[in-house]
Amino acid sequence: MRLYENEAKRLFAAEGIAIPKPLGVVSSAEELVGRKDLGGPVMLKSLVLIGGRGKAGGIRKASGAAEAAALAGEMLGRRIRGYDVERLLVEEAVAEAGGACYAGVTMNPADFNVTVIVSPAGGVDIEQVAKETPDKVLRVEIPVNEQALPDAEAARLADFLASGLPDGKAQFDRLKGVLSRLYALFQKYDCKVAEINPLLCTPGGPVAADAKIVLDDNGLYRQGGLFRLLGLSEVRHDVSEQTRNELRAREAGFKYVDLLPEDHVKEPEKLYVGLVPGGAGYGIFSIDEVANVGDRFFGGRVAPVNFMDSGGGPTVAMVAEMFHLLMDYEVVDLIITSRFGGISSCDIFIQGLVGCMRDRRAAGRRVVPVYGRMVGTDLPSARDFLEKAKRETPDELADMHITVGNRTIMAEVIRDGIRYAFERKGWA
Amino acid sequence: MDPKIKATDGFLFHLVRKLRPALADRVAQSGRLDTIILGLGGQGSKHAGLMHDFGTSIVAGVAPGGAGTRVYEVIPVFDTVKDCLQEFPDVVAASIWRHYSTARDAALEAIEAGIPLVVLISEGLPLRDVRDIIVAARKHNTVLIGGNTPGLIFPPERIKIGMLPDVFYPEEIAPGRFGPKGVTIISRSGAILYHMSDAMASVGIAQNAVIGIGGDGAIGSTFRDLVPLAMEYENTDLVVVAGEIGGCQEELLARDVRENPARYPKPLVALISGAHAPEGKTMGHAGAIVTPGLETGTFASKKKALEEAGVPVVNSQFDLIEAVRAKLGGRTYFAPERYYEKMKTIWDAPPPQPSWTTLVTKVEPDNLVVRGYRVQDLIERASLVEAAHLITMGELPDEGLAASLTLLAMEAAVKPLPAVHPAPGEDVSKTFQKFILNDRALTAFEPAGKLAQAEKTVFALGRFAGYLAEVQGHGTALKAVKAQASLGEAIFRAVTGEKKLDKDRARMLEAIVVASIDHGVTPPSAQATLVASSVRASYEVALAQGVGAITDVHGGAGEKAAEFFLRCAGLASGKGWSHEDAAQAVIRDYIREGRRIEGMGHRVHRQDPRRDVLWVLAERTGLAGPCVAISKIAADMLREVRGLDLPINVDGVIGAIVADMGLEPKVAKALFIFGRLMGLSAHYYEEVTLQPIMRAIDFREAVYRGVPERPYPR
Repeated sequence: MRLYENEAKRLFAAEGIAIPKPLGVVSSAEELVGRKDLGGPVMLKSLVLIGGRGKAGGIRKASGAAEAAALAGEMLGRRIRGYDVERLLVEEAVAEAGGACYAGVTMNPADFNVTVIVSPAGGVDIEQVAKETPDKVLRVEIPVNEQALPDAEAARLADFLASGLPDGKAQFDRLKGVLSRLYALFQKYDCKVAEINPLLCTPGGPVAADAKIVLDDNGLYRQGGLFRLLGLSEVRHDVSEQTRNELRAREAGFKYVDLLPEDHVKEPEKLYVGLVPGGAGYGIFSIDEVANVGDRFFGGRVAPVNFMDSGGGPTVAMVAEMFHLLMDYEVVDLIITSRFGGISSCDIFIQGLVGCMRDRRAAGRRVVPVYGRMVGTDLPSARDFLEKAKRETPDELADMHITVGNRTIMAEVIRDGIRYAFERKGWA
Repeated sequence: MDPKIKATDGFLFHLVRKLRPALADRVAQSGRLDTIILGLGGQGSKHAGLMHDFGTSIVAGVAPGGAGTRVYEVIPVFDTVKDCLQEFPDVVAASIWRHYSTARDAALEAIEAGIPLVVLISEGLPLRDVRDIIVAARKHNTVLIGGNTPGLIFPPERIKIGMLPDVFYPEEIAPGRFGPKGVTIISRSGAILYHMSDAMASVGIAQNAVIGIGGDGAIGSTFRDLVPLAMEYENTDLVVVAGEIGGCQEELLARDVRENPARYPKPLVALISGAHAPEGKTMGHAGAIVTPGLETGTFASKKKALEEAGVPVVNSQFDLIEAVRAKLGGRTYFAPERYYEKMKTIWDAPPPQPSWTTLVTKVEPDNLVVRGYRVQDLIERASLVEAAHLITMGELPDEGLAASLTLLAMEAAVKPLPAVHPAPGEDVSKTFQKFILNDRALTAFEPAGKLAQAEKTVFALGRFAGYLAEVQGHGTALKAVKAQASLGEAIFRAVTGEKKLDKDRARMLEAIVVASIDHGVTPPSAQATLVASSVRASYEVALAQGVGAITDVHGGAGEKAAEFFLRCAGLASGKGWSHEDAAQAVIRDYIREGRRIEGMGHRVHRQDPRRDVLWVLAERTGLAGPCVAISKIAADMLREVRGLDLPINVDGVIGAIVADMGLEPKVAKALFIFGRLMGLSAHYYEEVTLQPIMRAIDFREAVYRGVPERPYPR
């Protein structure tokens, strides 16, 4: 979970890292009109959960309430890389006298050590600095997951910063202090990223002009204190904007990702395939499998539309909802499904699928052909249920083709399904 | 014939030998690769059973506060890993199933205890905790797998550590005989493993080890740790890695292959998924996300890096089959038909009947076996103290132990009693309940150590002698008993109030008590005790529940039977009728009065195994009189008069003997309760050690899995 800049700064302040004086968070330009406390230069910063705001015009400087209000009017309601700007952070602008640094703490994805990265050339994209002038970046790995930054390392990092700054020597102690606090809060609050860019050096000491904190979702359960500090009552779901399908799946309690934009215009010669796989890993893999089978056997005329993961043990109703969602999604021409392995029950799965097919037929809703395979837990009862269901309601289930057992590998089931859908469309 | 390969020829042993040579030497001697399980919640307990049944040697579970109990009814539980290693020093692997909030501590405990392989199944651990675990694993030269991993499975030696299902097929060197060779699969995801294995098995390619490394952002062992280890194993012919978008482990593997080719002497194939994943959206695993702007972590970056290192990259089942086949030069390991047969057998098998275990008493028609001994042998030859020790500890005590237990019982018998005031005509089981629940001496007696269960039970028997004496108004007679006396003598005094021991009568009373020892877990009294035990009520409460369930309907029929036989005998002698005529007349009276004739009929037995031995004993001691004689013809008379075919049961026999001994009918019920105390005690201890708390108990599902029937030793 990523914190908004104002939240991250409040945490910095609580942990003793200096921040610019905050002047409030506004969601309309009117709130700034006539504000007496906006005499000097102020920063207006879009509160969106994405980087690169500066380049996108999401950070502006104003002097006085009138200019601030005018700028706010321009900024609010804009969209930055998929995120709507609904609120602005207003704070005093910090005079940059002694240089701008970068300081970040994160985990090295290669060996999982906590890593502190600093550069005296802050205020710009640190990746770029690292690429263009690698000697201006120092990375220090902290190998045994200490809860506090070892003093020697803190000194080495601060020294590297100080030696690259105009009046660095005088700042050394305070830079060291900021680095130690940043590191400690990274550990204390279960962060994935704790970053200051830029860290502005002022006569009064270093000030965190920006703040980026990404929390480890797995650590949130023990961060009640942080939530109280920030006045948060629940975990924030930070993706730019959820699609209609993604929202619906989230409400039903399963993971779902649309692969097509919501305004996607269907290409008439393509077959669109929805997926109800078992397991997250196969959820990712089956997308590729469908595309590859399409490329190999059907001239690339097949497009997978979604990722889905039912989790460990879905209920009958949840399984039915997975199929309902895809059948309500007008793009979908065919649904491929798979049950395999030990955790989830074939019985629950087939009951959910059959229920969905019958309900839709009864309600006169669109039915999309389903091709799939089921093997695994509770197979005998699932097979009995399937056979009985087909005898009882052959018409309702005419477009449901479920292979029982694993004599045919999934890739072949996918090929058979696509071939069937092509034939139905009268495509060669 | 056992199809599996020797454990010491397998991949897991290879791993142990690499990590801990001295431990491997010991394991080579025993031939056993012992594993333990930490975290015995729902998942852990369930998979402990599945792993055990698959063939894994799970020697122990670890759960703080769980010492002395068992998981899956057969696996002993210890409080700490250290305690566990005292008993089982050669543990090679631990799997961790604890909740994410405590999994770190469990993993550290296992690692610091020196266990070479630690498999962290738990998911949802904070990264900070995972880093602590990784640091410890590096320090102790531990192979850490996971977190958030489905675990490992070794099909040729039938060992699995984790939750992977039995869908993988090993090399088959002859029908029904496995070989160690094959492909090793190492994967970030679980479900994808089945589809990879399924594809390879469809063309006869075996898996000799399947390892899930976990899908989280920080994991213990990575591809570049494990692929070289697998390639070093002589029976691995090829390694398949299954990676996915996100992170940089695939890229790092590629770099290592290029820089250290000597570590990669065998063919390697990579399956990477996520070619069509959109940026910025997490798909399933925390680690599976394409981060916008990053050059690593995409499908393209992984594919490029691996291909530049000479590793073929596939993205579909068809390509996987082709690539693996090409690298293996067309070699196959089994006929695919064998794989399909196996899968069909597994999935067509009816679901296993749910069952749970009792080790105490086997109940079958006309046979009742307590801890392996026929109940009639116990009635004839075992003292009460011996029977109590047997039913709680599983074996008969030696003479010395029996003597010290007897002393304990006698000490208990003469301790002061709680003040209990039975209402006039109060049911004796209710009175006994009051005694148990108010008995501070019984509660205060808390033995520890190996004999605790037997000692507590024997102590309770002694207390019961006191209760019985009090109920009978014979407290003084009991108090005067010598410390070295037997418990039989104590019962004799309690029941009769006589200070001069009549050995035959005492023997008869003791036999009646032993005869009532137990009847498995289904009698209502045992059920009541088990329900209380399952919620971990105290020993006294659990016992009192069972005693309270002994009524005229269950277990207390002896009292009513005694009244019935006395009436028959009275009529016979009063009117000079034959026993047959008198019995028939009384039966007709009972029918007219709408009364049941108690002590007849049994749910299980036609010929109650306790019947003949009690009759014989009564006759041999000269205590048998008209009531016993009538009890022997009662079933026939009932059939003649009523047309009912109800054989006499143990209550009926006891009632008749008690009546002939000139004792009050209610003594029959009191003696039954006395004896059943041993059974209830044994069931209490079994429940609290073998079973999880507050389980839903279906009494019909209990299966006797104790020692088989055996001859009585003396």
